Formats: sequence, structure tokens, C-alpha cells
Amino acid sequence: MAEKTGSDSEGVGALLRFWTYLRPHKRWLVLGMLMIPAVAGMATLRPLLLKEAVDVDIPAGDALGLRVTAMLFLGAVVAEFIAQAVQVYALQRSGHLTICDLRRAVFSHVIRLPARFFDRHPLGSLLSRSTSDIEALSETLSFGVFTILTDVVVILATLGAMFYLDAVLTLISLAVAPVLYVIVRFFSSRLRHLQLEVRRAQGAQSGFLAEQLTGVSVVQLYGREAAAVSEYERLGGRYLKATRTANIYDALLYALMDGISALCIALMIYYGAPRLTTAGDGALTLGLLFAFVDYLQRVFVPIREFSGKLAVIQRALAALSRVYGLLDQPAEARTPAGAPDPLAGWRGGVTVRDLRFRYVEGGPEVLRGISFDVAPGEVVAVVGRTGSGKTSLGRVLTRTYDDYEGSVTLDAPAGPVEVRALAPDALRRHILMVQQDVFLFADDVAFNVALGEEGLADDPARLTAALETVEAQDFVSARGGLTMEVGERGRNLSSGEAQLIAFARVAARQPTLLILDEATASVDSMTEHKVQAAIERLLEGRSVLVIAHRLSTVRRADKILVLGEGEVVELGTHDQLMARGGVYAELYQMGFDDDAEPPASAPD
Amino acid sequence: MKIVFRFLLRYARQNVPSYALGLVMLFITNYAVVRIPTLIGDALTALQTTGPAAVAAGQDLALELAIWAVIVVFARTLSRVLFFNPGRLVEFRVGVDLFRHLLSLQRPFYMRRKVGELVSVATNDTSAARLLVGFAGLQVCNVAVALPLHVRQMWATDPVLTIWCMVPVAIGGIYMRHTVRQFYGMVRDSQEYLARLSDRILESYAGIGTTRAHVGEAAVIERFDERNVAYLDLQLRIAKVRSFAMPVLAFTGYVGAGLVLWVGGDRIMQGHMEIGELATFTTLLMSLVALLMSLAWVLAAVSRGVVSLGRIDAVMRTGDELPPADAPLEIAAPPTLELRDLSFTYAGDDKPALSAISATVAPGRTLGIFGRTGAGKTTLINLLARVYTPPPGSVQLNGHDVVAIPLADLRRRMAVVPQDPFLFSTTLRDNIRLRGEYRGHSPDDDRSGAYAKLTQEDDPQLAQVLEEACLREDIRNLPKGLDTVVGERGVMLSGGQRQRAALARALYRRPALLLLDDVLSAVDQGTEARLVAAIRGLTEHAVGGAQAPTTVIVSHRTSVLEHADEILVLEGGRVTERGTHQQLIARGGAYAETHKHQGVEGG
Repeated sequence: MAEKTGSDSEGVGALLRFWTYLRPHKRWLVLGMLMIPAVAGMATLRPLLLKEAVDVDIPAGDALGLRVTAMLFLGAVVAEFIAQAVQVYALQRSGHLTICDLRRAVFSHVIRLPARFFDRHPLGSLLSRSTSDIEALSETLSFGVFTILTDVVVILATLGAMFYLDAVLTLISLAVAPVLYVIVRFFSSRLRHLQLEVRRAQGAQSGFLAEQLTGVSVVQLYGREAAAVSEYERLGGRYLKATRTANIYDALLYALMDGISALCIALMIYYGAPRLTTAGDGALTLGLLFAFVDYLQRVFVPIREFSGKLAVIQRALAALSRVYGLLDQPAEARTPAGAPDPLAGWRGGVTVRDLRFRYVEGGPEVLRGISFDVAPGEVVAVVGRTGSGKTSLGRVLTRTYDDYEGSVTLDAPAGPVEVRALAPDALRRHILMVQQDVFLFADDVAFNVALGEEGLADDPARLTAALETVEAQDFVSARGGLTMEVGERGRNLSSGEAQLIAFARVAARQPTLLILDEATASVDSMTEHKVQAAIERLLEGRSVLVIAHRLSTVRRADKILVLGEGEVVELGTHDQLMARGGVYAELYQMGFDDDAEPPASAPD
Repeated sequence: MKIVFRFLLRYARQNVPSYALGLVMLFITNYAVVRIPTLIGDALTALQTTGPAAVAAGQDLALELAIWAVIVVFARTLSRVLFFNPGRLVEFRVGVDLFRHLLSLQRPFYMRRKVGELVSVATNDTSAARLLVGFAGLQVCNVAVALPLHVRQMWATDPVLTIWCMVPVAIGGIYMRHTVRQFYGMVRDSQEYLARLSDRILESYAGIGTTRAHVGEAAVIERFDERNVAYLDLQLRIAKVRSFAMPVLAFTGYVGAGLVLWVGGDRIMQGHMEIGELATFTTLLMSLVALLMSLAWVLAAVSRGVVSLGRIDAVMRTGDELPPADAPLEIAAPPTLELRDLSFTYAGDDKPALSAISATVAPGRTLGIFGRTGAGKTTLINLLARVYTPPPGSVQLNGHDVVAIPLADLRRRMAVVPQDPFLFSTTLRDNIRLRGEYRGHSPDDDRSGAYAKLTQEDDPQLAQVLEEACLREDIRNLPKGLDTVVGERGVMLSGGQRQRAALARALYRRPALLLLDDVLSAVDQGTEARLVAAIRGLTEHAVGGAQAPTTVIVSHRTSVLEHADEILVLEGGRVTERGTHQQLIARGGAYAETHKHQGVEGG
């Protein structure tokens, strides 16, 4: 399953790569690490001070000495508290800063991934890569790796102090430790499996719940309530069984850790008692027993949390490898800053020769040898049935999809430029494709029109002018102007208004070539004529390739390109094609009415 | 608190024996926990003097210590299991009851509450309720038992020292309580911040096409980063509380230990205390600090649990808002459907969605509803399907008021296809038959191969329905045919395919009453013609034995309605025209106008 992390070396590699994100925040990391010896030192020192008091100060009745020892003890307590707080904070800080950077890196990368990638990956999984997987990392960074390191140092320091004080007694009192180790290993491996099952069962149950509630009307209308409840019970039962078993192991593990230190102390006292009384070599002092009692009570505490922390790290490594998988996807190329515009002065002339294209390598060709020209300023209407390749043509021209065969050249003044040789962003500053389903961000009108375009985003006058061009200014200014919130997915707007906003984007950018996919869905009659008028205006003064669904648009076109099964079947003006009485004439009779193109990934 | 009591009475009562035994175990555990430091102290005191007698005494005490150590392991395990597992059972039963109740609630409720919110009530809140009866129950009992035992033992050991080290620990405890509260507030905020960040990420990914086309990446990243950084800031504030405020209680515990050394040492020198009692005291103190720490968390868990219970209770107490249904009705044959002056206004609206609609559909006949978006077509279907409750008497089946017919009776022979059909994340076969055969919720779920067996059996009705809904071709193109998992977590079907699958689901039931809400809006014209023929074809089955259903079909396309026995043209919730297709064309109104347009132009 997804929880497997592959080999250990892979895990190490993943961590090494992680270092590149961690490095900018290493100051905090170093500060945190520096505190480790202080924490371990103070924790080891305290029992030694206790021993001093019991062995020296109290038997001697030295009140002053005792006071000094107690003050040292309190000093060690304060120092440890400060060191520990600084350490925990510094480690968490470096962790959160890194995670924030990593999340930004993942997001920025995904945003630049090509359309083909999005066809293959559902948004849900991309979202969980960018959120929950990175959250899993956050937990590890803050509490996992480095606290384990601290724990190990503290344990080693404690053991070191114990061995230094009395090696034999240490070995005796820790005699049960190997048994403990075996038990803990066994329990925690069982627990890990169970916890995995718990998470799976929980996921299945809540997934089922969410789906049934989303489709609650089907459940109700088709009388599926009882069946749904019994399935929910079954899934819940699976979860219940897993959690109850996990509970037993968990309780045993917890209790065992509790009992074990008392058992070790008992061992120590039992075997230490005779040596306490024999004078000479190997004699023990009472204070040493005090110190050992203290050490033994604390040395097991971190071990209890070890297995939990290890599980977290394993989960994080799995999450990390999924995140890397995403970061390793090749992103679209970008023009380097300051590079000259290769399309400067281009007037919109396009030459398409024998264009062939398929979405999936080895899949069916959706464009099968298309040739046509667009003269500067010409309006070309593209018509055809669903699946004839209309939308694909637009996608190739904007390099939304790469890997076409044949040639698509733009007649720039400096000579013809092949589309595949242009960086996508450079190309799209001149060729703008407007899809029929308008996407609006839950932000204000200004953002939705400007979309961060330089020189536009901070120029209200230009934005207003663009809105005026498409007759959207009326309703926008009536509802708060440029700062009007359009709502989630534009829900404060009607579908016609949303289209006008999308047209305002075009008007504000004045692309050299516009590829317009007209909406098939009927809009409300209030905005219908406005949409129509706006389209008329957008067609003025530039080259346009319009995937037409409206009669008026087709009539207005200088030439009509009729596609069928990825080929150009007819080409000419409306009157010529009508006179011909072919495919176009038939489509015209039927009213061009059809679906939007199916998603590119849909099997043919 | 009343809610808590009611809740405990309902769900936790049956666990009383388990809790009682758990309480006994808790008592034993805590007795041992207090006994162990005393034994350590006694042993150390005994070993202060030398001689074989002292050694023997020390060793005896060590043996007793070992016995208590073993006891504590078992008693503590049992006490935890006996408290926690009933909590899980409560969580399970609350969850199932809540789910059952949710399924009985009607559309108006689901219009008010978001699904995400309800899922959170059913998962997070039931789990908080479980913590209340499990974890919190254990800890409250634990503290109630352990605290007096600890203090009593400390007091018995040395009252003066007890007072001395209680001071810092009490301050630490109060501070801890405050910190935990603050911390929970921040955790709640952090969940909200994360949700807002996720929203933004999802929105950006969904709008990738627009961003790409307009080269808007930089702006989108900037928008994302606002929330990314806000989340970071909150995390850093949480980190501060976690690092500096949370450990204060443990710190005061160690300060107490320092005072034990300071004051206790003095008292030993003065002969008020035995030396071993230093160890007893320190150990008890640490154990006490751990208790107080868990108490602070428990109090927070209790208050969260109470809030969660309140939310669960609010949902459970929401009624289904259905009028009493006391007239059971067996609908065997296709019924007569009658609308009598049907008017309907949505709660909170001032304009009626439908006004004074009357029509009669004879058994096996078809009523067509035509109108633009917002004309009230879907409202009409929803009222007929009883998604919303129509005014009494205004909708009648065979002369019986539908409002008085129990929903289950009504829907047994009714099939409704909504405009935007919903498919479950299961196989296409299961989506059509709706038998819940495929356990698609986790891949390794169906080990018995029960589903495989079910798919083997011949289902001529399914085959016929697939033919009628024009799905054969589509199924051939699916990777696993009829057994392809579709829906959210499966293969994405196109809008037209989804509509046809939903139509097949309805036809499969061979309903007596069929309600179709603009179900052909996303299929192309060629398929539309075949589907219309199929829906009409049902009528002709009358000859072959199965009876044609009484049908109401909504559409904004005249081609779909052409063959209806009567067509109502709705505008603003009123019938503006009515008649057969021919009559309406002849009339030359809105219907005829649209028909003319749709002949040539799309939309």
C-alpha cells in the first residue's frame, strides 16, 4: 500500500533531497541542535546532585552544603526548562518554515504542469499531495526526527552516567531491558498494522458517509435507506473491531512501560542491598541508589513514544516520496525574464499545414492532416460535430497540448515562427483561448479580469475600459465596481454575466489572435443580447478562430472551416457552403447543436 | 450538562458493568501507584543502617515492589480497556443512529446544511463524544481516585513538605489549564486556516485552464501564498505555546522536587523525616504532576465533548418536517395522477414558484412540461416526487392525497431521474440495479468473491434496459464494462453518459410512475431521438405484459415532448399554454416559437 516506503536507501535519499528545502532555515535547526547537549546534561546532572545531598550533605548535617546543592538543583531545573523550550521552539520553527516553502514549491510547480498531466490526475489526489501529504511532513519535522535524536542523546547520557556510577548495578537493573525490547517490538509492529487498518477502515467509513449524504436524494427516492444503514454498520463494525483490538495492545504497552521501571528499581534494590553494606571495593552508597531510582524512572519514558514517532516518520517518508513524484513531473517551459518577444509585430497570420495530433501516444488521431490559413484580421469560424477536433485545434495553437506533427507557423515580421519552438507563455501573450465554461476565482472583478497581468492589475482605468467594451461595466458598477466579489466559482453572477467577465479579459489584453469557444448553453435572455454584442466587438480588428455555435457568428465569419473526424471536409464562405449542400448545409439545418467536447482523456 | 446526562443514559448505560469493573481496576492501579514509591522509600530507609537484617528487610521490600509492579501492569491494562472499548461501542452506535436519522431528513434540511459539515458532525463530533465517555471518563475517574490517594500518602509522609511543594505545582496546574484552553482555540483556528488554504489550492487547480490561457500563474501563486503564510504564522504561534507554555507544569514539578531536596533535607537533619522518604516524595510528586497534566487535557476534552454532543443532539432533534402519513397505499398498476390547483412557495421566498397548476394524467399516459430555466419545472417534479411536500390535496394518486401516503409506499413503484444525476462510487451495474452488491469502498474489501458470483447471473431485464438507455456502446468502451467503477473515485463519465445511466436506473425498476427532469439535456440529438423512442417504447410494452408507467417528462426541447399526451408550458410558475404538440404549434405561442428556433439553432 501507500504506506510502504521502499528501501531504506530510498528513504535516506528522500531525506537528503529534503535538505535543500531545510537549508535556508538551518539557523533555527542549528540552534535547536545546540540545545540537545544542554538538555541531556541537565537531565543527567539532577540525580547526581541528589546523590551528593544524600551521601554528603545530609549525613554530615551540613545545612549550608545542602542549600548549595538544592540551589544547584533548582538552577539545573531552570536551565533545562529554558534549553528544552528553546530547542522545541527552534525545531518547530525550522520545520514550519520549511513546510511553508515546500508547499509553495509544490503549488507553484503544479500550476505550471501541462494540461496532459491534469487529464491523468484527478484534482482530489493533487489536493491531497499539496495539503495532507505536506501536513504529514510537518508533524515529522516538528516532533519526529529531531525529538527522537534528543531522546536518544538523553537516554545515552543517562546510561553513560549510570555506567559511570556503577556498571554492574546498571547491568543488573537493566536486566529486563532485552525482554522489554522484544515485547515492545512485537507490540508496536502489531499496533502499526492495526493503526493502518484503523485508518483504512475510518477512511472507508467516512468516504461512504460523505457519498451517501451527497447522493441522499437518490438514496431516498429509490428507497435505499435501510441498505445504506446496514452497509454503514458493516463499515463501522470493521472500524470498531480494529480500534478495539488496537486499544488492548495500546493499553498493554502503556501499562508495561509503567510497571517496568518499578520492576527495574526492585531488581536494583534487591541486588544492590548486599553490596551497600560491604565495605571496600564495589561498595555502594545510599545516594547512588537514590540517583539510580531517579534515572530508572525516567529512562523508559522516551522509549514508550519511540514506536509512535517511528511510525510517523515512516508515514512522512511515504508522503515525501509522493510529493517528490509530483515535483519530478516536467513543467511547461517559461521565457526567461527580459528575453525579447519573438512575436513582436505579429499581425495574426497563421499557416497550418498537415497538422496531426493525438492526445495519448499511440491513441487515435483527433486531428488528421489539417491545412488552412488565417490572414491577419480574418475571422475564421470552425464548425463540426462533437469529436470533430474543433477544440483540439485551439489547444494545439495555444500549446495547451504539445507534440503535434506537421507545422503551425505564425507569420511574424522577423520570419515565420513554428508554434512548438515558442515558450508557452510567450505564445499565450499573443494567442488567447477563451473556453466556453468560464472559470471565475472567488475574488473581486478586478482580479478576475486582470489575472495578475502586468500593467493591468494596478490600472483601474484600463480594467474599466475593458469592462465597458464588453458592456459589463453597467452591472459591475451597480454592484460595487471593480471590488465587487464574484463569489465562489462566480456564483454571484449569472452565466451570461460570467461570460462577459471572460470577454473583458480578452478586451483588456487585446490578443493578436483570439480563439473563442462559443458557449452552447443558453444564457438568460437579459444578458443574451449583451453577450452577442460583446462577441461582435471582440471579433473586430484581430484574427479570430471561433468555434461557432451561433448562426450570427457563422454568418459574420470571413471563412468557415468545417471539420469532420479530424479532417477539413469543407472550406468557404457561408453562401458558398450552403450552395454546395454538403456537411455544412446539413449541420446548419440541425442548428450546430451539440455537446461540448469530451474531456481529452476520455477513451474514444 | 443535561445533554451529557441524557446521552450517557441512552448510550452508556449498558456499559455500567464494564465501568464498575474498570473502576475497581483503577482503584487497584492507583493503590499500587502510591504503594510503589512508599516501598522504594522504605527500602532505602531500611538500607540506611548496615547489617544482614537491614539487607533482608530491603530485599523483602524489593520483592514486594516487584509484585506491585506486575499488578500495576495488569490492573492498568484492564482499567484502560474496560473504559476505552465501551467508548468505541458508543461511538459506533451514535454514528449509526446519526446516519439513520440523517437519511430520514428531507431536502429542506439538506439545503440548510452542507454535506461537509454533516460529515464532520458524524465523524469528528462522534469521536469527541467517544473521548468523553472513554478517555475523559477514565481520566476523571482516575483523578478522582488517584488525587486523594496521592495527597493522603504525601501528607502521611510529611505534612510540611507537602504544603511546600504543593505551592508551585498548584500554580503550574492552574496555568496549564489556561494554556490548554488557549491551545485548543488555536488548534481550532488552525483547522479552519488549513481548510481555507485547501479551498484556495483546490480552486486554483480547478481554474488551471484559465490561468494557463492568460499566463496568470504569478498572480495565482501570490493569492495562494497569502493563505500559506497566514497558516504558517498561526503554526508559529502554536509552536510558541507548545514550547514555552505547555511544559510549565512539568517545570513546576521539578521545582517542587528541588524544594523537597531543600526543605526535606533540612527536615531529615532535624529528625522529622526518614531519608528514604525523599525518594517517596519525589516519585509521588512526579506522579501527581502527570495526573494534573492529564486533568488539564481531560477538562478540555470534556468541554469539547459537550460542545460536540450539542451539535449531534441538534441534528438528532431535527424532525423530518413531514406531515403525518396515515393512509398506506399499495400502488400496483400505473396510477392516475392528478394536480389540483397546485401552488407552492419555497420557505423564505415571497414569490410563489408554482401557481395554480391543474392537470390529470390517466394511467400509462404522459404529461410534458415545457419552460425556460426558472419556470418552475424542477419544482414541479420535486413536488411530485415528494422531495418537497406539496400543499394537502393538491397532488393525488388514484384519488388519494400523496401527502398522506407514507413515503416508502409512494416511492416503491416510483422512479425519478433528476436533471443532474448522481452516481455512486461503485460499478455501473450496481449503480443501475442499486442492490449494493459491490463493496467498492476499499479495494481489498470483497475477498469472498461474492460480487463476482452475482455478476455471473443472467439478468435479461438489465440487458434490455441497457439497450433502451443506449448504453451498450458506452459500456463496450469502459475498461471493465458493466463492472467498471464509476463516480467520484472511478471512471469519469460524460454528462450524457451519466444521464443515460440514471435513466437506465429508473427504467430498471419498471416503475408505475416515472418522473423525468430534463434528463436528455446533455445527450446529442441522434441519441435523444432513440431515448425518446425508448421512453415511449415503454408504453408499447403494455402489449407485452409490463404496463406502461404514468409519466411526467420535463424538457426545454420540443423534440423531447412531441409525443406527450398533454404539454404544459410554464412561465414564472404559471401555465401559459397547454395542449398537444400539434395544438401548441398551431397556436403559435412561445412553444411554437421555440420549436421553430430549435429546428435550426442550438440551445
